Amino acid sequence: MSAATLASRMAAPYRRFGSGPLWFAAPGIAFLAIFFLIPVLRLLGLSVQEASGGALTGEHYARISGTDVYVRVLLITFKIAGLTAVFSVVLGYPLAYWLSRLPANMRSRMILLVMVPFWTSYLVKTFAWMVMLGHTGLINRMILGLGLSDEPLSLLHNEIGVMVGMTHAMLPLAVLTMLPVMNGIDRHLTQAAGTLGAAPGQSLWFVYFPLSLPGVAAAGLLTFISSLGFFIVPALLGGRRETMLAQLIIAQVQEMLNWAFAGALAVMMLIAALITCWVYDRLFGLSTLSGEVTERSGGRGKARGIGLAVLGALVSISVTLGGGVRRVLGSRISAWLLPAYVTAIFVFLVAPALIVIPIGFTSSQFLEFPPPGYSLRWFGVYFDSPVWLSATLRSFGVALVTAMLATTIGGLAALALARSRSRWRGAIFSFFLAPMIVPRIVIAVGLFYLFAQLGLVATDIGLVIGHTVLALPFAFVAVAAVLKNYDWRLDQAAAVLGANRFQVLRLVTVPLIKGGIVAAFLFAFITSFDELTIAIFISGGIKTTLPKQMWDDMILQLNPTLAAVSVVVFLLVTCLLLLAERLRRRPHSASSRIETH
Amino acid sequence: MSKNTQFSISRRGLIAAAGGLVAGLAAPMLIRTAAAAGQITVADPGGPYSPGFRKGFYDPFEKATGIKVVNVAREAEPTAQFKAMVETRSYIWDVCMLSLSARDILIKQNLLEPIDLKPGDAPGLMPEALTPLWVGTDVYSTVFAYRTDRLGSKPPQSWADFWDVQRIPGRRSLRKNPIDTLEQALLADGVPLDKLYPLDIERAFKSLDRIKPHIAVWWTGGAQSSQLLQSGEIDMISLWNARAQAVIDGGTPAKIVWNQGLYSIEGWGIPKGCPRADAARQFAKFCASADQQALFTEFLSYGPTNLNAYKSIPKGRAQSLPTYEANLKLMTIAREDWWSANRAAMNERFNAWILA
Repeated sequence: MSAATLASRMAAPYRRFGSGPLWFAAPGIAFLAIFFLIPVLRLLGLSVQEASGGALTGEHYARISGTDVYVRVLLITFKIAGLTAVFSVVLGYPLAYWLSRLPANMRSRMILLVMVPFWTSYLVKTFAWMVMLGHTGLINRMILGLGLSDEPLSLLHNEIGVMVGMTHAMLPLAVLTMLPVMNGIDRHLTQAAGTLGAAPGQSLWFVYFPLSLPGVAAAGLLTFISSLGFFIVPALLGGRRETMLAQLIIAQVQEMLNWAFAGALAVMMLIAALITCWVYDRLFGLSTLSGEVTERSGGRGKARGIGLAVLGALVSISVTLGGGVRRVLGSRISAWLLPAYVTAIFVFLVAPALIVIPIGFTSSQFLEFPPPGYSLRWFGVYFDSPVWLSATLRSFGVALVTAMLATTIGGLAALALARSRSRWRGAIFSFFLAPMIVPRIVIAVGLFYLFAQLGLVATDIGLVIGHTVLALPFAFVAVAAVLKNYDWRLDQAAAVLGANRFQVLRLVTVPLIKGGIVAAFLFAFITSFDELTIAIFISGGIKTTLPKQMWDDMILQLNPTLAAVSVVVFLLVTCLLLLAERLRRRPHSASSRIETH
Repeated sequence: MSKNTQFSISRRGLIAAAGGLVAGLAAPMLIRTAAAAGQITVADPGGPYSPGFRKGFYDPFEKATGIKVVNVAREAEPTAQFKAMVETRSYIWDVCMLSLSARDILIKQNLLEPIDLKPGDAPGLMPEALTPLWVGTDVYSTVFAYRTDRLGSKPPQSWADFWDVQRIPGRRSLRKNPIDTLEQALLADGVPLDKLYPLDIERAFKSLDRIKPHIAVWWTGGAQSSQLLQSGEIDMISLWNARAQAVIDGGTPAKIVWNQGLYSIEGWGIPKGCPRADAARQFAKFCASADQQALFTEFLSYGPTNLNAYKSIPKGRAQSLPTYEANLKLMTIAREDWWSANRAAMNERFNAWILA
């Protein structure tokens, strides 16, 4: 009798919950349909039209297949993006692991360090790498000075330069995507494996690694897809062969004014990206993110088998290596390997910012390191310029609103998909990732047309909407990744205890996935704060943002104002983050005190 | 419920659009009176252009006409925004600085408004700067520069020298773009300056094949070219003269070689159908005068298109400008008609060549 009552009490709210959650994705779907799908489709539609007139034609696609240039550039693009993703995830994994094992206070301080590259505009970071890696750059001067080599090494204007620049840009994204998932892993599980006799390598790979896999898959996907659209880093750090498709698309849009052909190139890139996502899914179970893995298991058996075989091989290598290293170095020294590695990665992450700070105080007119003398003139230029100041203010404001909007819409959508069993789930999941795959210039031009009709050109709202389109995928994936390991029985328990759906969300789900939400907010903030392409089109130069102002300022000549601005932004952001951290900790400690009573 | 809200929003949008339409129809009348005391938005290339044009054009124009000039920085290639602006009739710019190639692309798509400048309006103006839809205001030149601290003993003097890796060793840099690069390859191969066009493409690529293994850096942006010369990453580099001049003015030991340079012109274009076109035209004409052009050269080392401006430019400065007589006679104009007919094909071939 009592069991029956309990069952019926459980079933009622659960059924209510179960029928509804896909609606949480509705705001996001509507937003993307209006501000992404329609404008982009309109532009891509040009690719099957004649340049003059509008009759249907396949000429633009025929032109692509008439030469191997575009396919070759596509392959180069995928190679660079793929390598970037691999380096970011592989180099970032131990760092994320190390961070996840720190005490919470320490961890949040270290995360600030990981995010240092985020707060330096990628325009500035790229030039900092030029200063460091060049023929007469910092590293080569050190190498020659120490007598390690007679000739300067070629570190720039080749594949090495591109990989350094891109991995540096993507590593924080990879670490911060993996971290919330790792934080959610119950540490007792590896202890249990150890108790049962597993070697450290075995418990790491067989117990810990599979549990962290949703984070790894998400990080790999995010870094891969966002690398596809890079154009400034390969253009400035790359050599003769490092041409990426985004560069060609931009040239067609801006220089040749051949939007139809640009559309055709974008379609080619889109299709290739979708195929890659599909293969990726088959191999590594990308849909672990969207939660599909539990149902379908038959068809993917073989591909998953390959994935597992790779994992098994990794395990045996790491166990052997780990044992060998421990035997050679002794356990005392090998315990220091991880901290030493982490220090090296931190140096890599922070180095460009450390270069930029002294350059901001230079007396020279150039980005030289070390500066020939010091002065505050470039800060004077910045603080005397209403354009720079208003651009700074606007960038912070737009990024803040964008982050709130994207986190809300994207978070709700992730929640909806994690709970839904609808067969539309996979399609909706891809839809939310789509803004990352479509080249930004295509979105920007499409949005310009839409905004012109809505009267949103050169408005702050226009910027917010455009940036939210770009930030949504990041926010969405960051939340989706933590929800993967979320224990839904907690929600059920709350529902059983009488909480309605929004109480469950507010009091149970959101506090528990806070890490993912914070990551989502930060990704969205950064996406907006560092965004250039949309700003170029939507601002029209009137409502200028910080990256747009930097870009304009360096058209004829790089001057150290860029570095001075970076120092100001860096200080501002650090203060804001420390403040936020303090505010966050206060109510938290209060609640934990209550919990212990 | 949600459907209703959406509908009301779109209805509101419709009303706003209708209102905009009415305003748009009434605009020509309103604007003419507004223009007299109104303002125009000018899109210039930013950087040192802004203070140079502020002094030479914007402030004097405001004083002379009472029309306020707001300047914004446009992109290096503003044609896409220009097209989007005209097609959606959202004129955020009233006048925009255009290169010859941008001008020709926009003319082909019928996106420019007539300016109607007569030769008598601006005595001294170069004939190439005067066209019905566009007025040239400054001349830039693609030259090469070298580091005097590295190559001072045997300085390269021509493109043949630049290609001569045996006699003059050193790290070289060219632009990752067929424009100007094909011409440079032909000049290096012995084609005389006045017989460049139409370009002998096969010969140009054959000549490029010879230099390809010796190019240390293929640059893509103007700021990058300055940085390469300034930091000493390379010893000689093809670049725009103002980029090199900025580096030299900043104290870097480098020198510009004007010999066999290729010059081109930038100037004002007005988006077709612009409601403030009259004021914009007035502005474009104002900028053709010698006195105004002389003023911008203080900030910007590009040459005035009105050669009478040299009467008031100090000699020291004049020598570093492309339209200074001694420099101009060493160079030829990059022929835009050839490029607009061949650019797409050349881009494709150049991209294929550079990846191979």
